Amino acid sequence: MTATQSALRAGAVPVTATRGGRLHREGRAAYLFLAPTLVFFCVFLILPFIFAIVLAFSDWGGFDLGTIHWAGIANFREVLSFDGSFVKPILVNTLLFAFGSVLLATFGSVLVAYCIDRLSFQRFWRVLYFLPVVATVVAIGNVWKMMYQPAGLINGVLNKLGVNSVGFLSDASYALPSVTIVHAWASIGGAVLILTAGLKAIPEMYYEAAEVDGAGAWQMFWSITLPLLRPALLFVLITQFIGGLQSFALIIVMTGDGGPVNATNVAAFEMYQRAFKFGAWGTASAMAMVLFVIILVITLLQLWIARRRGEETS
Amino acid sequence: MRRRRGGFPWFAYLIVVLGAVAMVMPFLDMVMSSFKGPGEYGVIPYKLLPSSFNLDNYREAFSQLELFRLFRNSVIVTISVTVSVLITSSLAGYALAKLRFRGRAVIFRFILATMMLPPFLLLIPTFLIMLNWPLAGGNDILGRGGDGGLATSLISLILPFAVSGFGIFLMRQFMVSLPDEMLEAAKIDGANQWQIWRLIVLPQTKPVAITLGLITFIGAWNEYIWTLLISSSDPDLQTLPVGIQLLQSFLDPDRTMPIVMAGLVLSTLPVLVVFLLFQKYYVRGVVLSGLK
Repeated sequence: MTATQSALRAGAVPVTATRGGRLHREGRAAYLFLAPTLVFFCVFLILPFIFAIVLAFSDWGGFDLGTIHWAGIANFREVLSFDGSFVKPILVNTLLFAFGSVLLATFGSVLVAYCIDRLSFQRFWRVLYFLPVVATVVAIGNVWKMMYQPAGLINGVLNKLGVNSVGFLSDASYALPSVTIVHAWASIGGAVLILTAGLKAIPEMYYEAAEVDGAGAWQMFWSITLPLLRPALLFVLITQFIGGLQSFALIIVMTGDGGPVNATNVAAFEMYQRAFKFGAWGTASAMAMVLFVIILVITLLQLWIARRRGEETS
Repeated sequence: MRRRRGGFPWFAYLIVVLGAVAMVMPFLDMVMSSFKGPGEYGVIPYKLLPSSFNLDNYREAFSQLELFRLFRNSVIVTISVTVSVLITSSLAGYALAKLRFRGRAVIFRFILATMMLPPFLLLIPTFLIMLNWPLAGGNDILGRGGDGGLATSLISLILPFAVSGFGIFLMRQFMVSLPDEMLEAAKIDGANQWQIWRLIVLPQTKPVAITLGLITFIGAWNEYIWTLLISSSDPDLQTLPVGIQLLQSFLDPDRTMPIVMAGLVLSTLPVLVVFLLFQKYYVRGVVLSGLK
């Protein structure tokens, strides 16, 4: 309507009249095309999101909506209390799990991506490293669980080397590092692909110039590759950290209950157990909300960094 | 293209090969263990190779796991999710890329924002919504009174994944670069928007559709948490990953693990074949998602 009115004032009556009609028709078509998407997001995104917030502030067990009570911040007080198990060890475990696996996966993937870039048959190598990303978490979790057993592959190799067997998943002090390694192992492939795209974007002439100046491979890596890879590296670091904070499928498969004694329990898994084992919707939703806020802060930080870099380069 | 700086890269080869061994070894162990007979698995000292490659565990997996039922459920869910995501993403992507209408910028920004909501946050409310879905599983029009609601049907495994914000984003970014002249010409010839989408835009989006289809297919095939939750009260809804995982928690692990491994080999094969056939497209999708 306003488009037609302003066009009328400009004095181009016949052309804009049909153009206005076309725009109107285009708008109707657009909303028809978007209808399934918008309906979906209302039912499966906006509605559950509001529900999640309401639940976090209410006291409710069972399934009858009539018995739901407003509880204020009681759930959060319970969840964040230092006497409970959520902050320590569960939230601490979550951070250690996410941070440890990101550190391992990033270090590994930078090394591997840089090395693959210097070899023949590059695609073959990358596909090989990508295999764990394609396999289901049930396959990955069970295979590693099997390899970690006293009679498994890893202890078999250790025994051959004269080292005593390690209770990777049964010993409380080894269990969290053990599942962290598996998560890192499974995420290297995706990171290698993204870092490779970053590596390919570095102009070859930088390396040629450095070679003329007599720089070695190691020097080139530190002074050319690493600084120019920073955007891709930062993206990998942050997205994988966010992924690590919310991942718990591997832990269900490998340890069943987050044991031994909460040693591998993480926030999203505790939420899952509280909700679906004990029906404590309120407490579980408050846990979800705490984790969500942590992730949101990191996401906004990432957006802020990306935007600042955009201003720098433009 | 290839960088051969400083002679033959011995060190690079060493690193890549060592890493590749670490990547492949677990899968090799999985395949080998799937052939191990009674008394061969879980024995110290560890042996990688089985004494013989007989298919007993695979036969066992078919009978104990009802593998056909799990396979059928996995196929129905995966294909439905993939087709739905492809259709809804290309429809919405086209509207956001090429049609002019009020609210376009707001809706596009909203779809970008949907990607920031982590799935675990919506797990509890979505489950409760499924249970109280109106007129399903014996529920009345207000969603009360029934026993399980929509969570008693395979639809509950499909519906929450039927639209993908990432898919819409991917499609929209690709369609923006389609030439406007082509669409204008079709409009002058009297085509309506539906025809333009169906006959002109859709054929052009084949490469990005393969990428998105593949990512969605593999994600749906491997989906675990939601299916575990929904099928916990109704085993008829189990898919391959969930059914196989539940088998090994019941029985004697030293006897069942090789059977579980056989089931895992069989359930990994289809997705592996699809991935290897189309890996070029999959790789591009991962890179696209990384470079926004």
